[in-house]
Amino acid sequence: MHALLHGTRRSLATPSRNPRMAVVIGRLLGIAFIVCFLTGLYSHFLQDPLPWMVFPTRPIWLYQVSQGIHITAGIACFPLILAKLYIVFPDLFQSPPVRSFTHFLERASIALFVAASLVQITIGLLNTFQFYSLFPFAFRQTHYALSFVIIGSLAIHIAVKLDIISRHWRKRDSAPRVPRTLTVASSSEAASDQAASPQAADVAGSGTRGLTGRVFAWIDSAPQPEPRASRRGFLVTVAIAVGTVVTLTAGQSFRILDGTNLFAPRKKDIGPNAVPVNRTARAAKVLESAVDPAWVLTVSNGTTARVYTYDDLRAMQQYDVELPISCVEGWSQMASWRGPRLRDLVDSVGGDPGARITATSLEQGSIYAVMDMGPEFVRDELTLVALQLNGAPLDIDHGYPARMIAPARPGVLQTKWLSSIEVVA
Amino acid sequence: MSAVRVIPAAGTRRIRAWRIGLLSVGLALLVVGGLVLLADVAPRDYLGILSWMVGAIVLHDGVLALGVFAGNLVLRRAGRIIPWGVIAILQCAIVTGGIVALIVVPEIIKKAIGTTNPTVLPLDYGLNLAVFYAGLALATAVAIVLHLRVTRARRRAASATSAR
Repeated sequence: MHALLHGTRRSLATPSRNPRMAVVIGRLLGIAFIVCFLTGLYSHFLQDPLPWMVFPTRPIWLYQVSQGIHITAGIACFPLILAKLYIVFPDLFQSPPVRSFTHFLERASIALFVAASLVQITIGLLNTFQFYSLFPFAFRQTHYALSFVIIGSLAIHIAVKLDIISRHWRKRDSAPRVPRTLTVASSSEAASDQAASPQAADVAGSGTRGLTGRVFAWIDSAPQPEPRASRRGFLVTVAIAVGTVVTLTAGQSFRILDGTNLFAPRKKDIGPNAVPVNRTARAAKVLESAVDPAWVLTVSNGTTARVYTYDDLRAMQQYDVELPISCVEGWSQMASWRGPRLRDLVDSVGGDPGARITATSLEQGSIYAVMDMGPEFVRDELTLVALQLNGAPLDIDHGYPARMIAPARPGVLQTKWLSSIEVVA
Repeated sequence: MSAVRVIPAAGTRRIRAWRIGLLSVGLALLVVGGLVLLADVAPRDYLGILSWMVGAIVLHDGVLALGVFAGNLVLRRAGRIIPWGVIAILQCAIVTGGIVALIVVPEIIKKAIGTTNPTVLPLDYGLNLAVFYAGLALATAVAIVLHLRVTRARRRAASATSAR
């Protein structure tokens, strides 16, 4: 067993699998993880704010960009994590598999880290095209919980590997200048240094005999590429893979890459009113209620209430605003909206300038049917109860007869098929 | 004793402080993650999440990584007859094509199953993947030709200098 593990590690050794490369790629992956975590938290708290939270309403594209970065960085994590795991793969076969209780904890924490990370980016990707039937658990809560597990494991991983990281942080301090003899056999970094050093590994694997020995000998007889070219080739490959997946998908979030959007789950300008749709009128079960001639929007403040018909809303002062609709799933679309200001409606029932509102949709069976909005968005001059989108009445899938549109908010909070607005003191 | 380079105590202390700080933050976040799992995620989901985590490790370490190793070995053995630069270019193309497939194939499957509305997965992903692979093959061929030309010219220049 011991010989088998050693033989496997030696056969897996290749010039690009070295601690310096693990630090270089690990750094990029760590940055991508932290970017995803922070943009994800921002998106989470916009949807589920703590009572004291106030959010910026400018720039209007704040959420569009933060969530676009969240999804794009998540997609970039695929090549990065595969590269990182490729580099450290020989460590899976370290022998003995467990040296001490601390070593067991270290390996267990890495297993948790790797498993959670792979699941996280996979379900994140599947969520962007609503492939929920593939996994047997709720997406949003799991994605949120795993994000803490991952960043926690990342911090622990950095703490455990701090010696290797600091030694290989800068190229000029890196591996070749550190004498191998200084690495103590009991430390985990010795293991990963050793994996990258064919000489050291040769000694360890020299006892292999029999069939496995012959297999290893056959593998090892394959010519080894020149180390420098091999390392450079590896880095170029990672860069090209990251560049490719980003270039071919980020167009759903960033207009500049729309021309190369071959693989994103959404495409700009495709949909009714030239805007993509997330939840349709059919899915929200509003096909009848939304086109009911008796539809009214009720605006209330305590005991004061006013009822607005569609024509009443159109008779109010209309405003034209350019605001993006930015989905949690990463896609976004700039659009022209027209309708009365929310704050005019709130003022019509004597709403306090610092008041929040609760908007309710005709939508059935969704947690987003009721939406809470803080005063910073309620008082904003760009926040409309929109009646028109891109020069035409709202399509029923975009929330006809009336929907909310506010700057720098997630799409799920731009409540469609409005039914009532309640001023909350 | 004097031959052993002793790391300055200040550096060790700083590393230890960082290590303790990172471990504390990490453990605290793990606790938060655990609490969120307990509070927000339905217990009936736990088994599904666990099976996905185990499955992810098995699929990566047991299937993907070994597949990559086998492919790598084939290319390495080809190193006897094919120049290393060409192998590196081929490797780059195979890896890039593979990762793109990992991202796009689920989209093709989901589109075939059906989406909730036509603006989700609106493109012809199978066709786009074919177009992408054609472009990748072309780019790879061009890169190989350029590489061979450059190395040949360099070798010729080197032999011309040594002949002089």
